[in-house]
Amino acid sequence: MIRQRIGLALYNLAVWVVVLAIAFPLFWMLSTALKPNDETFALPPTLLPVHPTLEQFQRLLTETPFTTFFVNSVIVGLCTTVLVVSVAVLGAYGLVRFRFPGRELIAHLVLFTYLLPAVLLLLPLYLIISRLGLANSLAGLVIAYTTFALPFALWLLRSFIVAIPIDMEEAAMVDGASRMRAFVEVVIPQALPGIISTSLFTFIMSWNEYLYAMVFINVDTSKTLPPGVLTMLNQNQNVEWALLMAASVLMSVPVLVGFSFLQSHLTRGFGSGAVKG
Amino acid sequence: MARGMRRDQLTGLLLVAPTLLFFAVLILYPLGQSLVLSLHRTSTLTLQSRFVGLDNFRVLLADPEFTQAFINTVIWTAGAVVLQLVCGIGMALLLHGSLVGRSLARGIVLFPYLLPTAVAVLVWRWLFNDLYGYLNYALLAAGLITHPLAWLSHMPDAMISVILVGAWKFFPFVVIAVLARLQSIPDALYEAARVDGASRFAQFRDITLPQLAGVLSIVVLLRAIWDFKEFDLIYLMTGGGPANGTETLPILVYREAFQMLKFGRGAAVSVAMLLFMLLFFLVYFRVNRHLEATGR
Repeated sequence: MIRQRIGLALYNLAVWVVVLAIAFPLFWMLSTALKPNDETFALPPTLLPVHPTLEQFQRLLTETPFTTFFVNSVIVGLCTTVLVVSVAVLGAYGLVRFRFPGRELIAHLVLFTYLLPAVLLLLPLYLIISRLGLANSLAGLVIAYTTFALPFALWLLRSFIVAIPIDMEEAAMVDGASRMRAFVEVVIPQALPGIISTSLFTFIMSWNEYLYAMVFINVDTSKTLPPGVLTMLNQNQNVEWALLMAASVLMSVPVLVGFSFLQSHLTRGFGSGAVKG
Repeated sequence: MARGMRRDQLTGLLLVAPTLLFFAVLILYPLGQSLVLSLHRTSTLTLQSRFVGLDNFRVLLADPEFTQAFINTVIWTAGAVVLQLVCGIGMALLLHGSLVGRSLARGIVLFPYLLPTAVAVLVWRWLFNDLYGYLNYALLAAGLITHPLAWLSHMPDAMISVILVGAWKFFPFVVIAVLARLQSIPDALYEAARVDGASRFAQFRDITLPQLAGVLSIVVLLRAIWDFKEFDLIYLMTGGGPANGTETLPILVYREAFQMLKFGRGAAVSVAMLLFMLLFFLVYFRVNRHLEATGR
């Protein structure tokens, strides 16, 4: 009994040590962000800030284009999410509940495109976006983002809609509701948790995207956060790590908020229907 | 009844129509365009292009940089996948027990997966910093190294560093897939093994691993596909350097097209990548069908 207790305590201790070691980079990011510049060069490094300060955050918001990048990222994220999720809800419902020629083929196509490397579409998308005159515009980015967000959202929503029992729709239709009314009044409410988590995942994907944003946008006023903050790293002779860590913290906050809502749907979202839980 | 069926089919197609439109215009047409581009010589600046047949591919096959990028891609993918798999299975087993604060621990472990790659890279480059980085300080203090290392500017250290960061960022995918599967292994199997006097290791080898085999084969394939195409993490960590030491195929596509301004050659590299992807994809379908047939 006592041996078992000790064993359990040791197990807990060991696991938490590993967990905290994995979290160390995140802790280090936060700790550095709260330091004044000269303290980042202290040797030995101070684990916790000796003179904690919010000056990095203040400088970030007042002296750098960080706010512009942030607003751009929010705009692109929201537009991508609304566009992709509305198309995908219809598409996923059609693929799950209706039988029509080519249905299987479309399902395979969705999976194939979901696994397709972004870099494969980079060059043709670059041409399309330049020809449409959308280079350096947020609209161009939204268009580019649908190429990976739409297949993802379709897969994820499909797994949610498959799980809805068909009886309720049939009952509604027996009661005289049309197919579309059954969809709006029965399916959408039932699929709502799935729609919300798909939206959050889509927003996070768009928020994190770097390659397209770096290639398609060359003016500071339209840059999103990932390429914007990284130009801050490469422009300066003396890298201001505390400032960059403050930027990293602020970039992570929306993801953390989304993540806390998503915990229960993570298995689905990570594998997006490709890995069965 | 027949008319009802017909109408049903039509509604289905209408629902899927916007999706198909997006797919055709934004994915299938550009894919075809990639093929066309790869057969042309195109300058990135003027976008003037001329048909050259398979010239771009011939040049690539003779180009040592392409061979190097291919080898680097294989090393990176293999290293990252193996490390993610080992750490991921280990962590999932640890988190499966009766842990105090289990959901918080899971949250912490899984979070790096959703973190923007740009943030992960910034934090790790700061940790790897040769003069003031915490990693060098800690290793020096522990007496494991005698002088600070410039992690990202020497080979093979740069490749090892990139693989380590890739493992940290992406191993949560393995953790969550394995955890979900572990929860569905019936306890009765373990009880029977204990009655037979099987050791913990024997239980792991004879029950846990075979039960996980299905999910692991899918996880390995997916992670291999995703690591194979990874651009952001490697490009932002090292830019492909030092001296092309960590340059993988996706980075080569970007470099050919936007730094050497040879659009057609970049497209040819991406078409070569597509061929490898098709291979992965075929295997994925095979495995998936096999798993569905055997009901795992």
